Amino acid sequence: MMKVILEVKERHKPNLPIEAECITPKNFLDPEREFHVWKGNKELDITDIFHVRKDGTAKSAEQVEITIRGDSSHIKRVGEYMDGGKILIEGDIGMHCGNFMSAGLIEINGNADSWLGREMHGGKILCHGDAMDYAGSGYRGEKQGMRGGLIEIMGDAGDFAGETMAGGEIIIHGNAGDMPGVDIKDGRLTIMGDCSRPCGNMSGGECRIFGTAYDMLPTFRNEGLTAIDSVQITRFSGDYMSRGLGTIYVANCKYMD
Amino acid sequence: MQEIKDMICPFCGCLCDDITLEIEAGKIVSTDNCCTIGNAKFLGKNRLKNPIKKIDGTWTDITYEEAVDTAVEMLLDADRPLLFGWSGTHGEAQCVGVHMNEILGGVIDNTTSVCHGPSILAIQEVGHPGCTLGQVKNRADLIIYWGCNPIEAHPRHMSRYTTYADGYFLDNAFRNRKVIVVDVRETETAKVADEFIRIKPGGDYAVLSSLRAILRGKSDMIPDSVAGVSKTQLMQVADMCKTCSFGALFFGVGLTMAKGKYKNVRNAIEFVDDLNRHTKFTLTPMRGHWNVYGANEVMAWMTGYPYAVDFCRGVAFYNPGETTAIDILARKECDACMIVASDPAAHFPRACVEQLRDIPLVVIDPFETMTTTIADLQIPVAVTGIDAEGTAYRMDGIPIKVKKAMDSDYPSDTEILTRIYNKMLEVKGL
Repeated sequence: MMKVILEVKERHKPNLPIEAECITPKNFLDPEREFHVWKGNKELDITDIFHVRKDGTAKSAEQVEITIRGDSSHIKRVGEYMDGGKILIEGDIGMHCGNFMSAGLIEINGNADSWLGREMHGGKILCHGDAMDYAGSGYRGEKQGMRGGLIEIMGDAGDFAGETMAGGEIIIHGNAGDMPGVDIKDGRLTIMGDCSRPCGNMSGGECRIFGTAYDMLPTFRNEGLTAIDSVQITRFSGDYMSRGLGTIYVANCKYMD
Repeated sequence: MQEIKDMICPFCGCLCDDITLEIEAGKIVSTDNCCTIGNAKFLGKNRLKNPIKKIDGTWTDITYEEAVDTAVEMLLDADRPLLFGWSGTHGEAQCVGVHMNEILGGVIDNTTSVCHGPSILAIQEVGHPGCTLGQVKNRADLIIYWGCNPIEAHPRHMSRYTTYADGYFLDNAFRNRKVIVVDVRETETAKVADEFIRIKPGGDYAVLSSLRAILRGKSDMIPDSVAGVSKTQLMQVADMCKTCSFGALFFGVGLTMAKGKYKNVRNAIEFVDDLNRHTKFTLTPMRGHWNVYGANEVMAWMTGYPYAVDFCRGVAFYNPGETTAIDILARKECDACMIVASDPAAHFPRACVEQLRDIPLVVIDPFETMTTTIADLQIPVAVTGIDAEGTAYRMDGIPIKVKKAMDSDYPSDTEILTRIYNKMLEVKGL
């Protein structure tokens, strides 16, 4: 088992973003590997930004556990293409955390910035705080967002959560913002709280909203009451502005008349 | 008195090309064919006479050479410089800007990110069923203005291309061409429309979805009222769109900057796609700045992306929301900025303007603007269309050569940017 602790050093310009896609468990298996991160337009060694401590040895990514400490709210792309092992983030994390990840676990004790788990294929992201916009979505112009795995957000999510989602599962325990699951094709999106305008242009998949869906879109057909885990809930099919092959379960909804 | 005909107006995306200017003693004294806004630009006064630099809080006159050196120093010192503006200058200067950004490893963004950026995001998702304004003028018998008010923002759009223009393939265009206006309030444009759809703010997406469902024969599921629009009116509008021979939908920031942003535009594009199963229909964004379309063209052909291009790692990266000027400034990421032909202090949110004030700021602009007040250095240049010339793109993507009416001692944007760029190369030993 290998434990890596990365503690963010104090920085002269704390708001400058750091791009650190090299931080994945697999990369720490090679003891000779050099780790470079980008601070704005300057390429730096990882030790310029973090105090690095490595204990133990590992034969596979699954045996590596990385802990990130300190103010990591501006560190971007942590865990990009991660394929096993664990990353624990003790504070907040910057954008694009867990992009394209296929296996392993990322646990965030604080909040996550936008594009959490963008286009992920597998593995799990657990965020104990809030996530900003585009959790589990796709890149600009991309046809498919998240394709597999699980994102669980204990707080609220921003706008466009699960945009172009095409597989996997997102569970948001708080509220979601505007247009969760817009252009969703497959997969399951669960929102325990409220949201507005869910699942526009839905062409497949499933969305469950246990709070109130505000400004519900008129192009979903009410298919009557049903129950999920003994909760009374209305089933809608849609979106009928396209072929209407998706399903939304909504506890309460309000339309914009 | 000298009269020059067929000049191009460098104000809005219409790029009217029939302007007559009267010049007396090296000054434009009157214009003909111009709208009020264009006229004000041609007759603009209070041009800055020479470069100025803020030293210990007071403005000091400096030479162009000193200005170039100062700008180079400020920008090369930065870890994340931002080059913003570009929509109010010609394409040749924009080219130099992109080269400069590559050397700097900075972010280059144009004003698209605060106007039709969402339109481009939507186009990248589902394409652009567009056409030139000449096609609209000569063929369109149905015009939709959605979330835009051309009478006040593009004053000659209706007389040159739509409502009041003759059409080669249309009989009695003025009477037979129908106009639909969709807006949250009754604008001047709405008053001349055949059909005015008053929508509740934020209801665009639902209304477009409903229209698409009606087109697909699902009208039974549409409720009696959608975002303030009655079902009867929606049915009527869908019918008008289906039965026209050539429809043209123009949309403005009322659609792109309303709640849902690019998803609204995507819905509008897909609505137009659906209509193309019944008739011919096209869609054109009402671009604001005269060469904002050109800024997108130049950046797209040079970097692959139309705006918000981040070169910090030496290759182009694009992600609006992350690499757009507003976001970079609001998150206080950038540590130096150059503004070319734009006035963000007048238009950006307060937090962004505060960040601009707190970092080294170079402004390249002929006039004193609100941004001047927070700048550290301003370099005055010639005005394209008056004493400088270059290429601009009209809102429908047509490149037009903008001519100059007179010579002056001011350098053009291209000249001053090239000097800054060459100096950067020299300092970096490239």
